[in-house]
Amino acid sequence: MSGGYRQQPGASRGTTRKDGKRVAGKQKFPPPGSGGSHPNMAPRDLDWIPESVGGKEPQPAGSHIHDRYRTGTSVGKPRALVDSHAKVTGQAWYGDDVRLPNEIIGKILRSPHHYAKIKSIDTSKVEALPGVLAVATGQDAPNSFGVLPVTKDEHAMAIEKVRHVGDLVACVAAIDEATAMEALNLFDIEWEVLEPVFDPKKGLEDQDEPIHWRGKYHVGKTNVQKRVFQEFGDRSLVEEPSASSHGKWRMEGVHHGFTEPHAVVAHWDPNGRLQLYTPQQVPHYAHRALSTVLDVPMHQINVIRTFVGGGFGGKSDPFPHEMCAAILSRKAGRPVRINFSREEVYWINRGRHPSHIEVKMTADEDARISGFDIDALIDGGGFASFGHVTSYYNGVLATAPYELGSFHYTGARVWTNKPASGAMRGHGAVNTRCAVEVGLDEMSEQLKVDPIDLRLANLLPPHSRTISGFRITSNGMREALERVREGSNWDRKFRQMPLGKGIGIGCGFFISGSGLPIHWDPNRFPHATVHMQIDMDGGVTVHTGAADIGQGSTTAVAQVVSEVLALPIEMIHVRSHESDTSPVDLGSYSSRVTFMNANAAIRAALEIREKLLNAAWEMIGYHPDVLVLNDRRIYYKHDPAVGVSYLQALHKAQEDKGSLIASGAYRSPPMGGVHKGAAAGLAPAYSFSAYVAEVDVDVETGLISCTDVWAAHDCGKALNPLAVEGQIIGSCHMGLGQVLSEKMVYGRTGHLQNPNLLEYKIPSVHEMPNVTPIIVESSDPEGPFGAKEAGEGPLLPILPAVVNAVYDAIGVRIRELPLTPDVVWKAISAKTKSLDGIEPTDLPAPRLTHGPLQATLVERGNEHKVRDKKRQRSEDTSAYVNGVLFGFDPERPMEDQVEGWRTAVEPDPEQLAELGLAGKAWLKQEQRHMGGEQ
Amino acid sequence: MVGEAHVSMIPTTPKKVWSANVNGHAVQALAPSNAILLDVLRDEVGMLGVKRGCDLGTCGCCTVLVNGEPRLSCLCLAGQVEGDDITTVEGLAEGAHLAPIQTCFATHGGSQCGFCTPGFLMAAEALLDSNPEPSREEISCAIDGNLCRCTGYQQIIDSIEAAAEIKRGDAPAPMPASNPHPNPHPEGPDQPSMPPGHAR
Repeated sequence: MSGGYRQQPGASRGTTRKDGKRVAGKQKFPPPGSGGSHPNMAPRDLDWIPESVGGKEPQPAGSHIHDRYRTGTSVGKPRALVDSHAKVTGQAWYGDDVRLPNEIIGKILRSPHHYAKIKSIDTSKVEALPGVLAVATGQDAPNSFGVLPVTKDEHAMAIEKVRHVGDLVACVAAIDEATAMEALNLFDIEWEVLEPVFDPKKGLEDQDEPIHWRGKYHVGKTNVQKRVFQEFGDRSLVEEPSASSHGKWRMEGVHHGFTEPHAVVAHWDPNGRLQLYTPQQVPHYAHRALSTVLDVPMHQINVIRTFVGGGFGGKSDPFPHEMCAAILSRKAGRPVRINFSREEVYWINRGRHPSHIEVKMTADEDARISGFDIDALIDGGGFASFGHVTSYYNGVLATAPYELGSFHYTGARVWTNKPASGAMRGHGAVNTRCAVEVGLDEMSEQLKVDPIDLRLANLLPPHSRTISGFRITSNGMREALERVREGSNWDRKFRQMPLGKGIGIGCGFFISGSGLPIHWDPNRFPHATVHMQIDMDGGVTVHTGAADIGQGSTTAVAQVVSEVLALPIEMIHVRSHESDTSPVDLGSYSSRVTFMNANAAIRAALEIREKLLNAAWEMIGYHPDVLVLNDRRIYYKHDPAVGVSYLQALHKAQEDKGSLIASGAYRSPPMGGVHKGAAAGLAPAYSFSAYVAEVDVDVETGLISCTDVWAAHDCGKALNPLAVEGQIIGSCHMGLGQVLSEKMVYGRTGHLQNPNLLEYKIPSVHEMPNVTPIIVESSDPEGPFGAKEAGEGPLLPILPAVVNAVYDAIGVRIRELPLTPDVVWKAISAKTKSLDGIEPTDLPAPRLTHGPLQATLVERGNEHKVRDKKRQRSEDTSAYVNGVLFGFDPERPMEDQVEGWRTAVEPDPEQLAELGLAGKAWLKQEQRHMGGEQ
Repeated sequence: MVGEAHVSMIPTTPKKVWSANVNGHAVQALAPSNAILLDVLRDEVGMLGVKRGCDLGTCGCCTVLVNGEPRLSCLCLAGQVEGDDITTVEGLAEGAHLAPIQTCFATHGGSQCGFCTPGFLMAAEALLDSNPEPSREEISCAIDGNLCRCTGYQQIIDSIEAAAEIKRGDAPAPMPASNPHPNPHPEGPDQPSMPPGHAR
């Protein structure tokens, strides 16, 4: 031992072991000020250290590459969010809580017309009003922006025409709100009203004046913003099915309904830099868009993310009002604050797309799913937003968790004169998932099998590839299904309950981080970067751009750092508010934060860990391989009394260079196919979930109440079980709103009729069922400590689970969401009429007698269970691609094995006639192929 | 806001002195005579913990206690509560000691994005003041005027139940939030176990 010392804790309370050897007890923590709230080192918490590295934490899914960095400090323990005390004391500062000295109030003038050209705007009366300090119109900021680089179709304010009621026309800043409101009355605008389009089906036809013009890429003269065609697999398999389901769905648009209305404060500081305070999920997009619109380099803008009062996707676009505040502030020379009324929140929208979805599916004689045929026409509203991605997600995220014989998808997103749809929790996957899962329920009825057994016998295993080429790593789908089946007592209830009571199953599949960072090439730049700094005081400052929107991303990052460095979480300070100090990050969307940022944070923490261990090596002479980090101390593995405190090691490590600095990045591995659109839906990991819902349906009024939900979600590894459960229950709440009560109601004149929380019905506490969250841990090989997403995926299964439960209760399939009492009642009436006008109370409740296939499926499910377990634990590492269930060889390309196997991203001319609703978008050609604009 | 002429808010409304007892302190503010309590609390008194969610009395984010009763400050003219005792979320904690309801919202996941939290805290506090042992059903009824989009309410009800237990004395009181050494004498006050070198 060179230079080290033996630290004995004074009057040691050490114990004598059975073999007579004396071991040190609680270690004193020598120098004060090392951080943490207790002077003594806590004993090593073996319950939270995995089996694979000598702890007691069970690992049914096998070991993980990060196991050796586990210190039992934070990971897996339920804990309060690190910013929760700010929230419960009212000190959390949201957009509208930013008050700068000398601030003035901005207001936005919004379009009263659905679709109109602006012939002229006269602002002279506005400018003359005492108290008005700045006025701006579209001409002040002609540069266009958009969340995706390929669809920059928005402006700060309307340039030439307005595209929906509520579209921004002009803005004004005045000394107080009353004056600004008064000023809005004084604009003189000359309009030329155009013929609006509200029905997405009409949007597929040629228009006199399409809502946007995309030049040579414009599809005919239609309002089609994006069209997608995808076909994989062997279409001959769908011929002569032994069961099939064909459903046409109508889903209404829903809004995120976050409680915090948008608000923004812009301030040009004395050095001419823009400081913009905004509750953004993705501050980086806003940063880019501001730079484009204002013609200011990005480094002259500091985007400060305030606390975000709920996002759910609704605060992930760069917003025109953010530009407006900046423009007004630049003109007035004073800070400008714009806060939205609840009504304005609905005008900016970005909620879930109103959709027409058609799903055809077939199963063969062995109850294998031989084909999915999906057609999704989605109503994009006035702007593109994330529409490109949504158009793909509506199809491609249905390619798992089941093994498919063939997959066919046509999707189209059209512009209409309504507030723009965009990304919302479960982006693009929710509506199709509902249609698909209900279809499976219908097929299981035809096959006379249990729907859970049908699913269990058709699942893709862990470490496999979907039909569209997505790489599945960990997969907890089977365990999720088994646990909800057991938890809900499914086998005693399904198809056995009296009329009016029902139980239903639904599954979900979602990405854990988009594999493609929209603005750059993932092969050149990392997805996420985290910086870390430790100064002499020992506190760890972590800089990340991950936007905490309430899901607890800051806590997740703090937890993994705390785990790796064995420091109490109070010593980790996450700084994520300012773009000046945060590394570039794509923020909170597509459920990427935990996976990508926590991974980057682990890498940065490992760099620090290595420096600390090397310093300890120098001090006590033991190689880092035999050193243990535990609660602010580093010691020799076999004698905890030999060691140094964290602070001593830190100061040693700082001798040369001062503060310890580290940077960690996350890159996704190369993956995915090469066909057009292959990157959409690609993710480094996928989450899986299965829910069982129990409902009561009043057959005489059509009122549905969901009473119980068993919600199993595979999040890989729950870094913070409290937060994961919160996400699961919260997702149930949001999904339940969509399936039972929430819709954006557009009247006959196309006007949004319920832009407020009174008539837009978010479930209250009384509508909430009793949710039993079940966390499934499949330990993802690439996730941070095995973790995957838990924020969006858990929303998906609740919709089909409820719809299927309603069928179980009353024997009526309804394919119109939300299932409001009027919709249900109409469906019940139609059914009673078809049964010779019986009373609703005499409706026959559906019953199930298992057919011969049931036993086959159970047997196959059991075989697959063994297969899956081996693959999960890497005892079987053979290749597995979608198609093995149909007897194909995974090692050879499918095209070589079956003649009819194809991968197509454009329809063949002979297919055009038989395409569905959205497929009609392919009947028109792009301008460049029509000899139009080149 | 769209489609027709905007309602004139009369910029010239005369201002008058409004006084009340906010969080135990006498407060005087100069506010228009038609001012809404929410605006006065936020803009004049500086209680930014009172949140504006909908301006329509639907979300409950702006709930404050007026003489101990929960009330939606967005549906209340400031003049109506002139001279009354008003408690906002800022008045729940005593110094660094968070109220049990606050700690429980943190530790039981009752607060995710946190925007609706102040409203829920006030509604819950009013419930616990009048009913020390509420059932889950009674808790549901007490918070049914508040909307939360993150939690699905379940963990909020858990939080309120846990706080009720602490308030009744059935569970130990939580540690103060911002004390770096919550318990400097883990072995009892007679045997100080300060680390060596620590200033006594």
